[in-house]
Amino acid sequence: MRDVYVAGIGITSFTRLEFPLSEIAAYPVMMAIKDSSLGDIDHLYVANMGGGRVNHQTGLASAVVDTLSLTPSGAELIENGPASGGSAVKQGFMAVASGLCDIVAVTGAERMREVNNLEATDLVATLTHPIAEYIYGVTLPSLAGMFTRLYMDKYGVTERHLAMVAVKNQKHALSNEFAHIQQEITVEGILDSPEAMTNNPYVADPLRFFDCCPVSDGGAAVILTTRDVAESTGRPLVKLAGVGQASDTHCVHEREDPTDLLAVRRAATAAMEMAGISPSDVDVAELHDAFTILEIVESEEAGFFPKGEGHLALERGDTTLGGKLPINVSGGLKGRGHPVGATGVAQVYEIVHQLRGEAEGRQVDGARSGFTCNFGGFGNNVVCMALLRE
Amino acid sequence: MPVDLEKILRPVDRPMAPFPAKHVTLASGDDMVIRQVGRDDVPNILPYIAPLVYVERDYYDCVAARVYAELLAYYRYRMQDEYVLVAQVDGELCAVVNGRMVDERVGMSLHTLALRRGLRIGAHAFAAKMEYHMDILGQEEVLVVAESPIGFRRWMIEYDLEKRFDIPHELGGVPSYALTRELFERARGTLVIGRRPVPEDLMAKAEADILPPSDPPRPPDDLLAATRSKYDPTGTALMLQRWVQEGKVRE
Amino acid sequence: MPREIYAYRCRRCGELHYPYRMVCKGCRENDHNEFDAEPLPRAGTLVTYTDLYALPAVFEVQKLSLGIVELSNGLRITGQLRIAEPRAGMKVRGEVEVVRNEMYDEYHGMVFYES
Repeated sequence: MRDVYVAGIGITSFTRLEFPLSEIAAYPVMMAIKDSSLGDIDHLYVANMGGGRVNHQTGLASAVVDTLSLTPSGAELIENGPASGGSAVKQGFMAVASGLCDIVAVTGAERMREVNNLEATDLVATLTHPIAEYIYGVTLPSLAGMFTRLYMDKYGVTERHLAMVAVKNQKHALSNEFAHIQQEITVEGILDSPEAMTNNPYVADPLRFFDCCPVSDGGAAVILTTRDVAESTGRPLVKLAGVGQASDTHCVHEREDPTDLLAVRRAATAAMEMAGISPSDVDVAELHDAFTILEIVESEEAGFFPKGEGHLALERGDTTLGGKLPINVSGGLKGRGHPVGATGVAQVYEIVHQLRGEAEGRQVDGARSGFTCNFGGFGNNVVCMALLRE
Repeated sequence: MPVDLEKILRPVDRPMAPFPAKHVTLASGDDMVIRQVGRDDVPNILPYIAPLVYVERDYYDCVAARVYAELLAYYRYRMQDEYVLVAQVDGELCAVVNGRMVDERVGMSLHTLALRRGLRIGAHAFAAKMEYHMDILGQEEVLVVAESPIGFRRWMIEYDLEKRFDIPHELGGVPSYALTRELFERARGTLVIGRRPVPEDLMAKAEADILPPSDPPRPPDDLLAATRSKYDPTGTALMLQRWVQEGKVRE
Repeated sequence: MPREIYAYRCRRCGELHYPYRMVCKGCRENDHNEFDAEPLPRAGTLVTYTDLYALPAVFEVQKLSLGIVELSNGLRITGQLRIAEPRAGMKVRGEVEVVRNEMYDEYHGMVFYES
């Protein structure tokens, strides 16, 4: 297997975009090509979840490869729920590592705001088991709510900890011009004030409004290639050193231990092992905080903190910019936004941006190794990645 | 003998108890003042509403056009028993809500226009309106409709409003829903919020001037892209509009 | 005819599954549909629960009470709750009722009551 490097990155604003889905997917590739000066793309991977269902566009990859004038190169759509982006990057990694392709573009995009909120919620709810979960009205927030309740009872995580994650990530997002949420919030406003119940109502208790990431449109892209080609661009060398993926039971109620995210644990271990690093080596991480509880639990399952102590690290300020292991300095899903197909790729975008030392305003000083965790379904399909600066 | 037409055209308002101003803490930590405004404030507010008539998403265009009309009618004495409340942060206009009395017993909620998104300001403003009808004006029922799906979810579903489909609401004749006294009492904890009185300095700032919203909803940056997204797939109509603006084509 | 919700027992090794799985989790050697359907027991313990407020459009209620229950045979199931004050560890009893109405279709599932 050859070594794979990220030579170019591109991203759109994550917000409400009034552009067709194929253009939202294409624009960041254009930017990544400009970033790397590598225009000869052998193959294109497109990550997207809702295109067929809410945007009336199936076969998205075929549309994107053409609008970018990259024909006759091959192109494929990768759909893996919220882990579509991570999976697409993994496919791109495999194409280059195997020797099949030399320069691969991977883009992830979503345009969920084309439909109203109720339909967007339903789109994400289709991830659940059709007979054992979906018919009951189970949505992803409800699964997260049930999980959070168990975690609070078992490990002492409180609503205050969840609020702290939300405040931290929205603060981080202020330094990210592409982030969806450009609004500072305070723990007082969302938890303590007499009007907190209106500011921050329950969505799936104990999870509240500000514990859930927004619905966003957006796209992100990376260009993967061999070491030689990456060197020729003259840009800092960032190696996609490890990828790991694991699955778990479809129904959340069938998990071995309902307070474990085993797929995260397995995928993270595999990714870091492949990269030859251990959790303590990681300088900056992008975790999947679709719900604030997930950032805390993923930081434990990835091995950064002992199980059940992620919220203590949060209290200490370890995971804030400037702390020992800054998590989600881009704003994460909570602040940067969550165009479902784009997120996995956007996480890699951010880590590369950090490892290059170019993340002005939110740079983690001296970052040499980074980690991403892209959480599909409700933890039943997780893709993790480890990146190293050379 | 000159006939005083104005006497005939101008409605005679019922006496309405004024809304005592209150303030709430937003998720951002900011203090928001919700107060009633009179006719003389309307000309200051209208310019902030006008641009929203061109924002299609979430039915802002529809709501803004109607609010503009209702405020203008209020200002020029052509709407009976209307009230207008505004929400301000540091004097900056964040929301406008209005409604009117149908009779002593029944109120009619007209509109809730939020000019700043992401902080549940609309929810606070709507709640203030319901409090006004039920607690201050002492009514028994408020008729409510929604133009946008967001409004529908926030009010009809969240407060479990009663269907009153036999009553066409004056906003387009659509079937109404009602917040009854019973539903109001049940939801009192979430509908009657905020603190009174408003601290003097906060109130002074709010009353001094109604400042323009800093980040109001805007039409999409690229109209042609928006077109490729939805209407007029050929983009011809908007292209023409742009050419006219650029002077390339004479109308 | 009273409705049941079924678990599936592998005819080769006896492993019980809910919901249906094509390949037995225990032996992975079964032939297609080589399972016996067994009605799920109704008695169980509440593991976790939530009140969901952001509902899909088809539900015209204000909130939905959902929970995960561990049944007396060790299997767990997700269902709706009609329990005023749910508590983890509470004893519950399931009934098969309509849990979703979509246009002209009715969907049945497990609803749990306090035991």
